[in-house]
Amino acid sequence: MLTSTAEQSKAGRVAQTAFALLGNWFWSGLLLIILALLVIYPMIMLVVGALTDMDPITEGIDVSRFALHHFSAALTNPNASAALLNSLIACGGGAFVAVVVGLTFSWMVVRTNMPGRKLIAALSYIPLFVPPMVGAIAWSLLGSPTTGLLNTFFKWFNLDLRINTYSMGGLIAVFGMYYAPYVYMFTASALRNMDPTLEEASEISGASAFYTQLHVTFPLILPAILSSMLLSFVVMLGIYGIPSVLGSQSGIMLLSTYLFQLTSWSPPLYNAAAAVSILMIIVAAVLVLIQQKVLSKRSYITISGKGFRPRELNLGHWKWLMFVLAMIYLLVVVVLPIGALTIAATRKFMFVPTMASLFELKQYSWGHFQTVLADQQTIQSVWNTLVIGCATALVGGVLAFAIGYTVQRKDAPAARVIDLISTLPAAVPGLIVGVAYLWAWIGLPIGLYGTIWILVFAFVGRFIPDTVKVLSTSLAQIHPELKEAAWISGKGPLRTITTIILPLAKPGVAAAMTLLFVLAIRELGSSLFLYTTDTMMMAIALLNLYESGTLGTAAAFGLAQVVLLGLLIGLANRLSGGSTNSSVG
Amino acid sequence: MMAVTLDVQCLVKEFSSGRPAVDQASFQIPTGEITVLLGPSGCGKTTTLRCVAGLEHPTAGQIVIDGQVVSAPLQGISVAPRHREVGMVFQSYAVWPHMTVKQNVAYPLKHRGIERQEVDQKVKEALELVDLFEYADRPATSLSGGQMQRVALARSLSYQPKILLLDEPLSNLDAKLRLRLRADLRRIIKQAGLTALYVTHDQSEAVVLGDQIGVMNQGKLLQMGTPQQIYNQPSDLFVASFTGASNALHGTVVNHDGMDHVVELAQGAKVRARCLNSLSQGQAVVIAVRPENISLTALATQGSLPVRVRQLQFLGVQTNYEIEVFGQTLEVTELGTLPRFEVGAAAFMALPSEQCWGYPA
Repeated sequence: MLTSTAEQSKAGRVAQTAFALLGNWFWSGLLLIILALLVIYPMIMLVVGALTDMDPITEGIDVSRFALHHFSAALTNPNASAALLNSLIACGGGAFVAVVVGLTFSWMVVRTNMPGRKLIAALSYIPLFVPPMVGAIAWSLLGSPTTGLLNTFFKWFNLDLRINTYSMGGLIAVFGMYYAPYVYMFTASALRNMDPTLEEASEISGASAFYTQLHVTFPLILPAILSSMLLSFVVMLGIYGIPSVLGSQSGIMLLSTYLFQLTSWSPPLYNAAAAVSILMIIVAAVLVLIQQKVLSKRSYITISGKGFRPRELNLGHWKWLMFVLAMIYLLVVVVLPIGALTIAATRKFMFVPTMASLFELKQYSWGHFQTVLADQQTIQSVWNTLVIGCATALVGGVLAFAIGYTVQRKDAPAARVIDLISTLPAAVPGLIVGVAYLWAWIGLPIGLYGTIWILVFAFVGRFIPDTVKVLSTSLAQIHPELKEAAWISGKGPLRTITTIILPLAKPGVAAAMTLLFVLAIRELGSSLFLYTTDTMMMAIALLNLYESGTLGTAAAFGLAQVVLLGLLIGLANRLSGGSTNSSVG
Repeated sequence: MMAVTLDVQCLVKEFSSGRPAVDQASFQIPTGEITVLLGPSGCGKTTTLRCVAGLEHPTAGQIVIDGQVVSAPLQGISVAPRHREVGMVFQSYAVWPHMTVKQNVAYPLKHRGIERQEVDQKVKEALELVDLFEYADRPATSLSGGQMQRVALARSLSYQPKILLLDEPLSNLDAKLRLRLRADLRRIIKQAGLTALYVTHDQSEAVVLGDQIGVMNQGKLLQMGTPQQIYNQPSDLFVASFTGASNALHGTVVNHDGMDHVVELAQGAKVRARCLNSLSQGQAVVIAVRPENISLTALATQGSLPVRVRQLQFLGVQTNYEIEVFGQTLEVTELGTLPRFEVGAAAFMALPSEQCWGYPA
């Protein structure tokens, strides 16, 4: 009797384990297929495109016409090498400026007694709300060599001072300004999470406050500094809006603008674009690898979860100098661009002959806003953007939860592979995702190309690394024993997820979805290659307005986008319980 | 008169709200001795230590290190930590993770204009003292917790500070390591010839390490004395109970002869206890008694009281009894692997009057 029940239960156990194993494999297999479609297949198509002469629109997949000349052309073409050099200078310089500005501010806000720190910290996030394209338009209004508002202003006061944002210097400055908050977030959290006793130990042992900052504080946050610098470089590499507005006037071509130019020839040079894309991925991948190495080798930050009260350095009288510097920074980064956009959007004519005319009420009207509202296509683009943003948040949020959960429980088959694939897009500049998706789906007769779904999938694929990162920190906080306790109490795997994991991970899921929504509605680079007139998004519509030369209307629409983005981000943050303050990229 | 290295006078530290974190604490540390501040968390011991280090600014009082006034807020004197010539070992080790063991230990020497050869020599000596010389070139992060704490110790004594401050240095280590390291700590500090102020919440650590122990509670320094004084003549009910005299017997004073008092617990039940200050007849009194100082017997002896065993807990090498005596509950600890009484059994207890201290209730 006893033996038979024992055998029965043993057989039952074997069957159960086999079933569970099968289920696990089915689950992992499903995730792998989805990831393959979203990430691997477009990348393969990009490589195929770069290495063959096939035409993606008419020929489908045809690898028979192997060709290396696209690569050699990309490497030897003087335009391409000029674009590469320009990109390295502009993005390198931009990343450097971003680090100098971002680090200075995070240090002053977190670690000194500078007056008005809270306000400065809150306001310095504003560039993140401004899409890069809008920021670039604002700076072209301010710093165009002939009609720029700042130059006009200097002229009124007979100052022998001219600025020109249509230049490499302008590109570097605007890149640096708009990505400084990125560096700020990285380094501020590193500074905040540093164990203050590390600095106290230095001061006790006889070092001055200055020496301590130099030999203890900054070396400790060096990994955060380096990795934010490398990451912002990669992001800048994939930005189209800023170089297209500020660079094209003076003929400064960056890789991103060069790439788009290749696809807008008639006939489009898709193979050459694929080859240039591969080169850009290599540059980005090398940088991301270095960044990973830097982080894995020397990550000293957040040693314990203990809440620290960061040490505040008393700056004495210097704090007022710092305060003035901070105010100048806010003036340059927030007040001037928003002011320029407002003036351009509300003046009938952009030209401001005298200072008095700046204050003449009759020069102003709501005309540009009326033009924006009357334009069917522009309104359609706002609607498209909202739909695409929501769809991306939902699809991407669910996928990221599935990935995060699977990777976390390391017993799942292929968890390592899933983890690896889901971090790959981090090394792909935004623009390239668009080129890869174009190659992947334009030739397939399944009707995906031309719908809003190709944009949704491209965004989901592109932002998987960021989303999973946000989610996995909140999943990591759920101790496996909580899950095991649910199993012991008789709940199945699915019930465990719905009753234990999901409720506990809710803030993380909400944060990830908000982040995705925000990232999707700001995106320009990757949608550039995937939109049609029916699926146009706000960023594209703005680019078209700007390029058609209607500056006032473009400024009005740009301003409206900033306000709309601010409102949407505020709303999304409220809905998700304020859990996404730190991850807008 | 012995030389005094640290002199803390009427130290007060108030944070923004609530009662002061440190309230009129005064004590001295003779040169070459180790003083331990003992107390529960939040009692103000760490704040006191941080005031001595200069990491916290006191509200009032005066701190003198080796004859130099380093902190006297009312006179506007506040010497920066780096000019106080003190060494400090932190609870979180605070070993700099971006340096090697050697770089960590050499760091304080760099600010003292010492020549390179001498620096190397001093680093070597310090590392040998803590038995880590062979680890000199390892990155600090590759060490275990106990080793990191020894690096922190070497770092803070390499430059022969006037006083060594230790802030719960063992509390992040596991129990076994803590026992080993606390014996090492005393040996190393004594060998280096340093004066030390040590903060802990662990009585056993305090007894092993300290030449002097100061017990603190709610910001007040209640008693300062040798470990034997603290354990055998606690001047305060809190000191008595915090150092292990966890039983409190309530009664009234019948009469006294100097420090010896006769206390009535209930009709006809009298015990003898000592009080530091004589109490008058009829005054309510609380007697603190250690569980291990109560002896239980099956038969009545001179002065013993009848008790009943209510519960027992067998702990292997000792047994804890919960007994009832005239309506009051006491805990008794008896060594030995064999419990002598059962639950419900009647017995008699005797109290050693020289180890029962009474305090006005």
